[in-house]
Amino acid sequence: MLSMHNISKVFRTDLVQTHALRDFSLEVAAGEFVAVTGPSGSGKTTFLNIAGLLENFDGGSYRLDGVDVAGLSDSALARLRNEKIGFIFQSFNLIPDLNLFDNVDVPLRYRGFSAAERKQRIEEALEKVGLGARMKHLPSQLSGGQQQRAAIARALAGSPRFLLADEPTGNLDSLMARQVMELLEQLHEEGTTIVMVTHDAELARRAPRNIHVLDGAVSDLHVVGTPSLRAATV
Amino acid sequence: MSEIGPILRALLRNKTSALLIAGQCALTLAIVVNALFIIVARQELMQRPTGLDGENIVYVQSMGFTRDFRPEAVIREDLDLLRRLPGVVAASPINAIPLSGGGSSRGYSKEENTESEGIGAAYYELDEQGQKALGLNLTAGRWFRPEDVQALPENTDQYPYQAVISQAMARKLYGEDAPLGKRLYFQNGQRSVAIIGVVEHLPSAWVHAENFPYSVVYPRITTEKFIRYALRTEPGRRDELMPVVEQALRKANAGRIIRLRTQSEASARSYRGDKAMNIILASVSGLIVVITALGIVGLATFSVRRRTRQIGTRRALGASQWQVLRYFLVENWLLTTIGVLLGSGLAVALNLYLVETYSLERLNLWYLPAAAVLLWLLGWAAVYAPARRASRISPATATRNI
Repeated sequence: MLSMHNISKVFRTDLVQTHALRDFSLEVAAGEFVAVTGPSGSGKTTFLNIAGLLENFDGGSYRLDGVDVAGLSDSALARLRNEKIGFIFQSFNLIPDLNLFDNVDVPLRYRGFSAAERKQRIEEALEKVGLGARMKHLPSQLSGGQQQRAAIARALAGSPRFLLADEPTGNLDSLMARQVMELLEQLHEEGTTIVMVTHDAELARRAPRNIHVLDGAVSDLHVVGTPSLRAATV
Repeated sequence: MSEIGPILRALLRNKTSALLIAGQCALTLAIVVNALFIIVARQELMQRPTGLDGENIVYVQSMGFTRDFRPEAVIREDLDLLRRLPGVVAASPINAIPLSGGGSSRGYSKEENTESEGIGAAYYELDEQGQKALGLNLTAGRWFRPEDVQALPENTDQYPYQAVISQAMARKLYGEDAPLGKRLYFQNGQRSVAIIGVVEHLPSAWVHAENFPYSVVYPRITTEKFIRYALRTEPGRRDELMPVVEQALRKANAGRIIRLRTQSEASARSYRGDKAMNIILASVSGLIVVITALGIVGLATFSVRRRTRQIGTRRALGASQWQVLRYFLVENWLLTTIGVLLGSGLAVALNLYLVETYSLERLNLWYLPAAAVLLWLLGWAAVYAPARRASRISPATATRNI
């Protein structure tokens, strides 16, 4: 599903060069649930951005669901993001002026689905996260947990091959964080591949596979439970 | 365009900025449409056909001040001198300058002793070379012969027996009937003249008068100390000949003051107010358009900055650069369209007010769709740069804490 080999990423200013990732290698198989942990500045977010095709990398190779993403045009990357990846952000990133229905509709419109198909997918996704009755609500009318569930519905509606979650419970209290985590576990059980970046070690432990990032490289692997996984280490 | 629904719903939740731009577009459309309409109407007014060879006509005014000044003899000598000057096509005495703002007029009717259906018309006094001196196009009948022309003092009851009238006047008085041979009656009087010819155009002296195209020409020379001649030069030689003419006339008779004036100067002076008004209206309209464009740029720039994270999220969710660009173009198109709809109503209302208050013409409704297209183009041009900047926002913005 996700195959990164010797990925490097350098941020340059006039005075400083910062190596955000150095020879970063990782493979995630279909159906895995991987938690990525690490201290601030370790390169977690850079990894997430590159994995989610939000940012380019300077060296190495990256194949997403068999597609070599190096050298793809901006519009090809956008299409790949739209079709393959569902994003869950720490701050939910719902569009405040749109109700839940229209929010979930955003990636589906870019996909070019028909109105009928979009409607069906939106309703199913919102039902799945328990917000079927709140489609016409604005994000500001919902609690944080509900907003994150709505964001998960938006991520799921396009049936992506895998979910990328950036601190999905970072802005939630413990009760709501648990609800969101249970939802992610349920999705994993249903076969969705999930890569979750988190600060929270306890939350990370609930994922079957943990990787720890330090100084821009995978420093430690920890497998909880089963699946068929293979991780390349530094 | 599939995003219209969500964009519209999002706009409705941000009414203030939406109304600001839509309102500005509406005001711009209402003001610019009416201003353009007035400009075009004035432009058409200034470009009406005159029938005169405007670029090559010079008027010479001679004011005799000596006691032994004999107008009849001076006129004869002057005309003889002017007509012999190389480069002069024709010369004729004339009582008033067309389009100059000063002249003579009288009421006329087609029947004797009638007070109804008369029209006011300018009258000119020209001799046998008058047609050539003004460059008039005769469309029916004939021009005056030398034997038709009468030299008469100003205050006399005597009047010529014939007249040439303008085609517009002929149509006004006689409709489709041929005017030749018909008698033209002085309103409120017993006198009449026979119409012997019709010229295509000969405007009156008053450019804003309703009777602008109506005029009557008599074969007459008024013999007074103040004499005016119309002379037409060969094309392009007017300016070169003016000092020659002045010098020749001074040399022939020093007992007078001579002034020269061109037809172009006279016309320009009469239309000076219209021209100035058009420049003011065009400048104000241009300024309003620029302010509106800047308003759109400003608000779009603000909107892009305010929505940086949102745009990044859209990019992360799969929007291409073009789709982000299109989003802003469609959003602006919607705002402009609301402005166009409101502005069209405002434009008509403003026009009705101007019609009622200043007797302006009714607005030609074709101006509205034309202005709508211009406003859409203006909106797109103004929003393009901020929209382009928005489309270049990195999708990684979605994961940054802004």
